[in-house]
Amino acid sequence: MTARSISAGSAVERAVTPSVWSRIWAENGAGYLFLLPWFIGFFGLTIAPIVSSLYLSFTNFDMLTPPRWVGLDNYVRMFTHDPKFSQSMKVTLLFVVFSVPLKLAFALSIALLLNRGMKGLPIYRAIFYLPSLLGASVAIAVLWRTLFAGDGLINKGLAVFGIVGPSWISNPRYSLWTLIALAVWQFGSPMIIFLAGLRQIPQDLYEAASLDGASRWRIFWKVTLPLLTPVVFFNAIIQTIEGFKSFTPAFIISGGTGNPVNSTLFYTLYLYQEAFAFFRMGYASALAWVLLAIVALFTGVSFLTSRFWVHYDD
Amino acid sequence: MTFTLGRRQFLMGSSALAAAGAFGTLSPAQAADVHLRLYWWGGQARADRTNAVSDLYAKANPGFTYDKEFNAFNDYWPKLGTQVAGGNAPDVFQMDYRYIVEYAKRGAVQALDDYIGGALKLDDFDEDQIEGGRVDGKLYAISLGANSVAMMVNKTAFEAAGMDLPTRDWSYDDYKQRAEEFNAKSGGMRLLADGSQNGDPPLENWLRQRGKSLYTADGQIAFDADDMVEFFKLWADLRAANVCVGPEDQALDATAAIDTTMITLGKAATSFANSNQLIGFQAVNKNELTMVNFPRAAAGSGGGHYRKPSQFWSVNPKSALLEDAVKYVSFFVNDVDAGLVLGVERGIPCSAAVRAALAPTLSPPDLLSLNFVSNLGDLLGKLPPSPPAAAGEVATQLVTTAQAIAFGQTTPEDAGPAFVQDATDILARAANKG
Repeated sequence: MTARSISAGSAVERAVTPSVWSRIWAENGAGYLFLLPWFIGFFGLTIAPIVSSLYLSFTNFDMLTPPRWVGLDNYVRMFTHDPKFSQSMKVTLLFVVFSVPLKLAFALSIALLLNRGMKGLPIYRAIFYLPSLLGASVAIAVLWRTLFAGDGLINKGLAVFGIVGPSWISNPRYSLWTLIALAVWQFGSPMIIFLAGLRQIPQDLYEAASLDGASRWRIFWKVTLPLLTPVVFFNAIIQTIEGFKSFTPAFIISGGTGNPVNSTLFYTLYLYQEAFAFFRMGYASALAWVLLAIVALFTGVSFLTSRFWVHYDD
Repeated sequence: MTFTLGRRQFLMGSSALAAAGAFGTLSPAQAADVHLRLYWWGGQARADRTNAVSDLYAKANPGFTYDKEFNAFNDYWPKLGTQVAGGNAPDVFQMDYRYIVEYAKRGAVQALDDYIGGALKLDDFDEDQIEGGRVDGKLYAISLGANSVAMMVNKTAFEAAGMDLPTRDWSYDDYKQRAEEFNAKSGGMRLLADGSQNGDPPLENWLRQRGKSLYTADGQIAFDADDMVEFFKLWADLRAANVCVGPEDQALDATAAIDTTMITLGKAATSFANSNQLIGFQAVNKNELTMVNFPRAAAGSGGGHYRKPSQFWSVNPKSALLEDAVKYVSFFVNDVDAGLVLGVERGIPCSAAVRAALAPTLSPPDLLSLNFVSNLGDLLGKLPPSPPAAAGEVATQLVTTAQAIAFGQTTPEDAGPAFVQDATDILARAANKG
């Protein structure tokens, strides 16, 4: 920062020189040189693939032959005659609509408990955060598969109470719910953010409220929650995006198929199948851009409605 | 524009990078006259054998070095496709009967006819296995072994139930008649896995026994809605009679990987598989396994099985070392010492000389595998045309449809015509994109 403001004066003096580039180079050349590896990565590995996927979404491309331009065909097909597209959309929306609120409620409850100034808080915090660290890992999905199988631990536990449970992961009626449960269990990162948010709420508000004789329940609804809404909003957006992007658990639990009967066919899993099982890179690219649009839509609507329920009063 | 200042510096930097890269590629080229890149799918056992053969070849051809890479079947194809698209495919890579047509038609594999008799020796090579590597009359791939579909059989489970092992004559009805006796003593294990949800091999085998097939030579489906209704009914009936496993158990086997098959999970006494997989199945099964043919559609009906090239070597047409790549492939399938190293892990060797040298050295399960493929008799039909490009997707749809029936979401009567429609759409879409 200081380097830039010092050189600002000299930049004005040299403004007569025609080239902007040489000036930039003279001032920040070394900086850009050090940034070069990042730039190469950013343009080569992020921007270029994004741009080419936009182009590919208007083509048919099987990786063996050059892409063939088909205009809007891929997009038209998606919305007119692709039952797997609508199925995967349904599965993903169900997953997001149930897992996100449940996860946030869970994270907030635990954060409220942990915020009561108990002894050994860092240890509890670490323990509750642990599942999220293991979060998207293959190992946890494999563990989940074993827990919820027909002769898995969950059913052995139910058997103690004389209940014969189904094979949760391989029955289309329950398979999605095991994935929702897995997502809710990984409530660690929103919990940490809630905890930080709770610390920000001024103590004097609580003192004033309790002096006025407000019950705990009332304090939560009238003080804690309103002041926490920016954090709730942030968590809701992040978790919604995470939800739409969710891939690994469904991939592992269904062996990449989205079965039984497409009941765990997450949108991203369908996208993966189209690209890497059936080699329709063009169609998969179109799916990816539609996903981006959907996530943008959800985020946009959240921002628009946020002013009615998110309170920023500093 | 003084922009050149930045660009010149940038160029200096990048030429230094290029020089470094050049040194990197220079060193192996100096060390060896021939350097081939090999790529295949399979497990560690296959890798060990393949490397041993490459080392044998290096001993016989001083100056030969190689790079190798292997992957699981499902990860293999995206990677190969990416490399072909990028123009940097390996010199020699494994090819599957399912993909050969697609790769040949796109010019991604080299036609080998001109090398026959020269770099490529096929003097005592099985004619049906050569034929399996041909597309439109040209030879694009060299079979690494013949195999056939086969059912793995848990010998211990049958003995524990006090029952005879299945024989080559058993039909689906025979299994059905024995189910009650077996289930009484099996502790929940069933006789069969659900063959309607095992990809397309059980369907293909059943269709062929009825004189039909999965696909025509021009890549259309060769069965109709009535066939499918009957096939789905057969399995609905076997499920209802507890001859095969229930849908919840079958759905645990999402990918037909050996370790999630019904026989390995202990849910069924048999599993639909391939003859060369006995070694792999036995490795993860505590019980003693043996092998039998797929059940007959009716007593005495045959012709369902065929000797399929289990996998091929293909050569990259853009390879700078075409002749050497072909020579390597020829050594791989013809050299007796190489054959002894490879065994029957990739299927039954196609060279008669290799087979003759190998037979006395085989372990009992390997010998079982060899004999099974050699003695199919009336079970053997002719090799079907290579399947169309989208055959894998049709097989995926078959599993989903069969699951929907098994979980009661639809009926065989509705699902039969629906599946024929789905399969037709999938093939039409794949044909369009070409």
